Amino acid sequence: MSAPTTAVACDSPAGLRHAIEHAAEYLPTQGPITVFVHHNTLHALEDLPFEQAILEGYAMFGCEPYLSEPRYREEFKRGRIRAEDLREVLMADLGDEADRLIGSFGTRYGLRLCMLQYPLPAVPEAELPWVMAQTHALEQFRDDVEPAVREQMLGATRHWVMRDLQTRGQEERSGASAESTAQAVLAELIRESGSDLEAWKENAWRSFLLRFLWTVCRRGVYAAGLPKAEQRSLVRHRDWLLEVTGEDSDRWVNEVLIRFSASFLDQGFAASTIPNREQGFFRSFADLYSRPFAPRPRWMGGLRENLRALLSRPFDPLVSIEQSLDAFGVEPQEREAYLTQSLLALRGWAGMLRQMERHTPWAPQPAPEGTLLEYLAVRLILERYAVGEISRKHFGISELARVRELAAERIHPRPSRLSLEGLTLSVFHLAQVRGWSPEQLVHLSDRQWQQLVREIADFTELERRRILHFAYERQYHHAALDAVAIHCGTIRESQQAHQRQENSEGFARSAFQVVCCIDDREESFRRHLEEVDPKCETFGAAGFYAVAMYYQGAADAHFRPLCPNIITPRHYVREEPIFSAIGASARRSRRRRLLGYLTHHIHSESRTLIGGSITGVLGSLATFPMVARILAPRWAGRLRSSVGELVSPPLSELHLERNDQEPGPSGDALGYRVDEMAGIVVRVLQDIGLTQRLSPLVLFLGHGSSSMNNPHESAYCCGACSGGRGGPNARAFAQMANDPRVRAVVAEGGISIPPEVRFLGGYHDTCNDQVEYYDLDRLPRTHRALFRRIEASINETRARNAHERARRFESVPLQSTPLEALRRVEERAEDLSEARPEYNHATNALCFVGRREWSRGLYLDRRCFLTSYDPSLDDADSSILTRILQAAIPVCAGISLEYYFSTVDNEGYGCGSKLPHNIAALAGVMTGAASDLRPGLSAQMVEIHEPLRILFVVETTPEAMQRIIEENSGIARLVRGGWVRLAVLNPENSELHLFHRGRFEPYQRESYQLPKARSSLEWYRGWREHLDFASIDTPPVVHRGAATGAGVVS
Amino acid sequence: MSVAEILFQVLGVTVVASPVVLLASLGAASLLGCRLSEAVIVRLTQASVVCGLLPAVAILVLMLVVGTRHVTVELGHWMEIPQEEFHFRLEFVFDRLSIPFVMLSYLLCGVVAAFTRRYLHREEGFRRFFLLYAIFFAGMVLSSLAGTIETLFLGWELVGLSSALLIAYFHEYQNPVRNGQRVWSVYRIADAAFLVAALTMHHLTGEGDFSVLMGAGPWPEGQAAISPQHALLVGSLLLVAAAGKSALVPFSGWLPRAMEGPTPSSAVFYGSLSVHLGAYLLLRVSPILDASLPLRAAVVVVGLVTAISATSMARVQSDVKGSLAYASLTQVGIIIVEIGLGLRYLALVHIIGHASLRTLQLLRAPSLLRDYHAMENAIGSRLPRRSSGWSRMLPESVRRWGFCFGYERGFMDLMLDNWIVVPFLQLFRGADRLERRWTDWLSREPSRESDRIPLHPESPGRNLV
Repeated sequence: MSAPTTAVACDSPAGLRHAIEHAAEYLPTQGPITVFVHHNTLHALEDLPFEQAILEGYAMFGCEPYLSEPRYREEFKRGRIRAEDLREVLMADLGDEADRLIGSFGTRYGLRLCMLQYPLPAVPEAELPWVMAQTHALEQFRDDVEPAVREQMLGATRHWVMRDLQTRGQEERSGASAESTAQAVLAELIRESGSDLEAWKENAWRSFLLRFLWTVCRRGVYAAGLPKAEQRSLVRHRDWLLEVTGEDSDRWVNEVLIRFSASFLDQGFAASTIPNREQGFFRSFADLYSRPFAPRPRWMGGLRENLRALLSRPFDPLVSIEQSLDAFGVEPQEREAYLTQSLLALRGWAGMLRQMERHTPWAPQPAPEGTLLEYLAVRLILERYAVGEISRKHFGISELARVRELAAERIHPRPSRLSLEGLTLSVFHLAQVRGWSPEQLVHLSDRQWQQLVREIADFTELERRRILHFAYERQYHHAALDAVAIHCGTIRESQQAHQRQENSEGFARSAFQVVCCIDDREESFRRHLEEVDPKCETFGAAGFYAVAMYYQGAADAHFRPLCPNIITPRHYVREEPIFSAIGASARRSRRRRLLGYLTHHIHSESRTLIGGSITGVLGSLATFPMVARILAPRWAGRLRSSVGELVSPPLSELHLERNDQEPGPSGDALGYRVDEMAGIVVRVLQDIGLTQRLSPLVLFLGHGSSSMNNPHESAYCCGACSGGRGGPNARAFAQMANDPRVRAVVAEGGISIPPEVRFLGGYHDTCNDQVEYYDLDRLPRTHRALFRRIEASINETRARNAHERARRFESVPLQSTPLEALRRVEERAEDLSEARPEYNHATNALCFVGRREWSRGLYLDRRCFLTSYDPSLDDADSSILTRILQAAIPVCAGISLEYYFSTVDNEGYGCGSKLPHNIAALAGVMTGAASDLRPGLSAQMVEIHEPLRILFVVETTPEAMQRIIEENSGIARLVRGGWVRLAVLNPENSELHLFHRGRFEPYQRESYQLPKARSSLEWYRGWREHLDFASIDTPPVVHRGAATGAGVVS
Repeated sequence: MSVAEILFQVLGVTVVASPVVLLASLGAASLLGCRLSEAVIVRLTQASVVCGLLPAVAILVLMLVVGTRHVTVELGHWMEIPQEEFHFRLEFVFDRLSIPFVMLSYLLCGVVAAFTRRYLHREEGFRRFFLLYAIFFAGMVLSSLAGTIETLFLGWELVGLSSALLIAYFHEYQNPVRNGQRVWSVYRIADAAFLVAALTMHHLTGEGDFSVLMGAGPWPEGQAAISPQHALLVGSLLLVAAAGKSALVPFSGWLPRAMEGPTPSSAVFYGSLSVHLGAYLLLRVSPILDASLPLRAAVVVVGLVTAISATSMARVQSDVKGSLAYASLTQVGIIIVEIGLGLRYLALVHIIGHASLRTLQLLRAPSLLRDYHAMENAIGSRLPRRSSGWSRMLPESVRRWGFCFGYERGFMDLMLDNWIVVPFLQLFRGADRLERRWTDWLSREPSRESDRIPLHPESPGRNLV
């Protein structure tokens, strides 16, 4: 895709179609909310470097690229951004320009650093006279001016006045207007404080200094004049009219289109579908809006006849768009920009129309082909009427082509952001903090003033925010890299020490191994598990465990994909009741269906006339569930699930093995062949580096999340399963790996799985921290004791994990115990009124790819994705690392960037507060009664997030990583474009290389200290905010190395 | 005074006073700039609900024990003009109508407050929400127990005020503010009708006490002491008031627009309590309805038309809150029909049941996707679309027009705009033009300084739509 600024002349239909295609790329790409997949919000601009792309987003969507300046200032004040970060970032950013001298005001670097460290007031022009008159701006220095600077300024000024100003004769003064200003100020002060200057108190001098300084600055700035300000770009007729008349034609047009798009896209909520839906967007719209006996608002006058005429012949949206553009008088070269802005005027709905047209064949009601084109055609037709009406009202004409011209005549110049007075204030403050005395300033030439003013104006708010943001990122990234390096060194030393001591004893084996998703929420789970049972070992792999499948649970109506959304699965897996329970299952499924019909009936009939009356009269019964669920959610949830057990499917198994040649969704075509299973097992074991030393029991945990009253529930589930629950993947994997035939094939590939090793699948709910296990009946009796031990450890881990999570929830007291915390998180999952059932990926900032031993015991505050990878098993081409990163970098970057954008501009890129959300068309949420569809994350999801680009730390060599970047365009785009940061770790010497401007540069450590704590609890307790890194002193890690067959640990 | 009477007085005053005290304390705190913490606000609200609900239950029990069906609590004569036979007093009535209704108000307000406590946790407007909520709560209790038309009006106004302000709760967006204002405007029409009705009643009977107007018998057995013509006049005015408040035809357009606030406020206002207030008013003055047959017919017709058009609108809404709003309205229409037909107990039961059900449904509206998923899984296929039996009997074009009617929300907003708002505005704009021309002529130059001020002096940031 080319850069968005290139305009394509679109005077041919093909050119027009191309332009629209191009414009449509900027629409949000989030599909129906039931399958929520985190992705880069600015995916369409990913070809540009990050810094440019966010500015492009700012220009195109009007959305903020960074946090606000005051936010960064706060972070600076509380030490989250350090002065050294600012210095380093600014120095690197300016490069050779840093030392450029700006008149006599010092270097560019010095000036800019000063503007970053000392916030210059941004006072609107209208407010400025008030500030000068009513505050102490001219009486007192800024609070943050160093006392020494004050003294020096005061002394110099006093000296100057006593020496030159007062004693110089009248004739000399008349030439120097600066000094005459000083005389005027002095005269004023003399009136106030008496003529005996020697008797003046300090505050009189201060007042003189400041007033004089102000006057001098003002004169200088006025002499320099304003630098040129950028012009507003108004594109659409609507923009011009809004600017000139204050009337927004989009309000009318959007109101119509919101309601119609919602009805058109409705996935089965409304009882009546829109007539003629199957004939496409335009025909059903035209049919509806050309009905007779339907009053229409004034601005739509003539629309009915027009639509009737259009209905009577075949409709070509491109022709219609062309006609509209001609009517508006839009020149070919500006058409693309015009169409882009027109599409973006209601971008949520337009984006959903496009998604439903192209990417959701599985939806109950996908949109027919050409929907977006027809939508645009309809939109432009409506705009013609709306713009015409406003133009008639204000300009007296309805000739659309002349509207922009007429508006341009009437436009008031909008006051520029820069004003002379505002600049004066900036210079005035800068002079105070830099200690420029009036005497210095008085003799400057106009050219010097111009230089200074341009320098200040050039370092715009956006530029300042950019530097502040990079400093904000730098602080965390450097802390993280330091922590990794130090921790890695400590581990290496302790390993060497142990090896020396116990060399003779050979290699120990872990008691059990647990494999979790790479998800940042599992970081704390794994850490606590390792603390609870130091003999265990944990691994991280993408949570679909290479089982890319369409899955249908025993109680599910449909198959749903359980794999990253970049993969289209070929295999189908179904959960079925075990053979002996088929009868029981059928009975329960009948009961379930009955209950389902009943619920559906109540649900839909309660909204009708007759059915509603009956349910209404009996409605008092609803008081009981309502009161119970709101006042005692946990109790009500338990009651519900125990009643649910009566109808839930009995014991089940996965239909996992296929007999047919080709996979398909039914009968013998379900499942995988043995060799396919073996491929999956080999792949996962290689990825995580678990080809040897397998413990007797290896637990695979899928994860998901379940919460109430949460339209975004799917976003909380496993990202590697397309927003589904990953339990079935873990279960399927365990079943595959336990199959002796699979193991035989796997052994041919060189991985021998000893017969006593068993795999077990499980599911971790990250919201209520429950863990359940699959197919326990198939576990050999010999493994039961070990399982009990694992279960006990995991139960303890659940409570501790819940406790660590709960420190973030303000409503849970900090002094509660782990068990109380567990109860609270269980309650949150069941609570209808809980707007934050969990914090999901909020605070994510890191991704570690490498052996767990280097990160084990490092407190990462649930902010790190942990991917296991063992470079010693990899080949010379790093093919294992390549396939890990091919998934990990785009997925983690997608999560991180979606969080970034939703945080820096929650209204623009995110979906705002979830409190007024209203589910529309079963496809997305609107804010309130009717609004654009809101993609992105809600304010409640991101409120504790720090918007940072994710930093990958990969255990490999710079050369290998460089090769992977070069060979994979997807990775290269993200890494080279600066959408993610990347570092590689050499564990042998703890050296890090940081990717910077296209190559790896050695990382200079800043700190050699890492705090130590005896347990995670000791480190995090009593604190709600983000935490620094720390080394958790766990007992020595399990030794690595080849294991030869050992008995079951009991 | 007997012990029972003293008890009634004490308990009655507690029921009325408890929400008023809550309002006063929250209001005073924010007036004095004292920023109460979330926990304190919640505790105050809980205390207020409990302190009101328990005495209300006690009164009910006591009334059953003592065997009385009508208890009045008077809070003093505030004005008396004997010559004009005019007096004004605050009086509260506990009878078969008001006790269930006030208990319902307490219950739903309490539940929704408990819900809001967590739902709005950490929200910037937490205090503002609970303050507005306290206004609403006080308004509901006052109007449920009102024994005079003035008291009812007082509560009614408080409900209307808090309702409009809570719709505009997210005041940084355009739509909530615009819709809040729209609802406020409709409420003004209703209030004007109500006020005229109250004045007429005073004029006719010299006082606003329901007991005098409707005869001394306890509800619902009162006999209206006014002539059928007067009943028709007062009754029609009250019907207009009720129609505005309960979004009956032709005012139905505002109801879905009111779904702008946080979910719990939408639930308690437009799902349950506020939307039934019009029906409650008609129930309260039901003896007047008995006095005039045409009035009853009008009530039945308004209710029926509302119910039928609301159900056709509910069928085509594709957003969950809009659909529930019209579903509510359908039932309110039927309740109005029941009142018109004189089925008062049924109407009361219907109000209570419907309010509870709808509150629950609206509170869990954000669970819609999950619920649909669960139902699909239970049934094992896509959910069947329900198509109503009788619509199939209609010809295609009528059915399509019916869709169009529902889709455009009965054209009601449009007709109000075109036939009332626009002429109203045109009248005043015309007057403005006249005045401008006149003053320009007098001063021989453009006389309006305001015309010269540019439209956007400074942009306050991005417009949120």
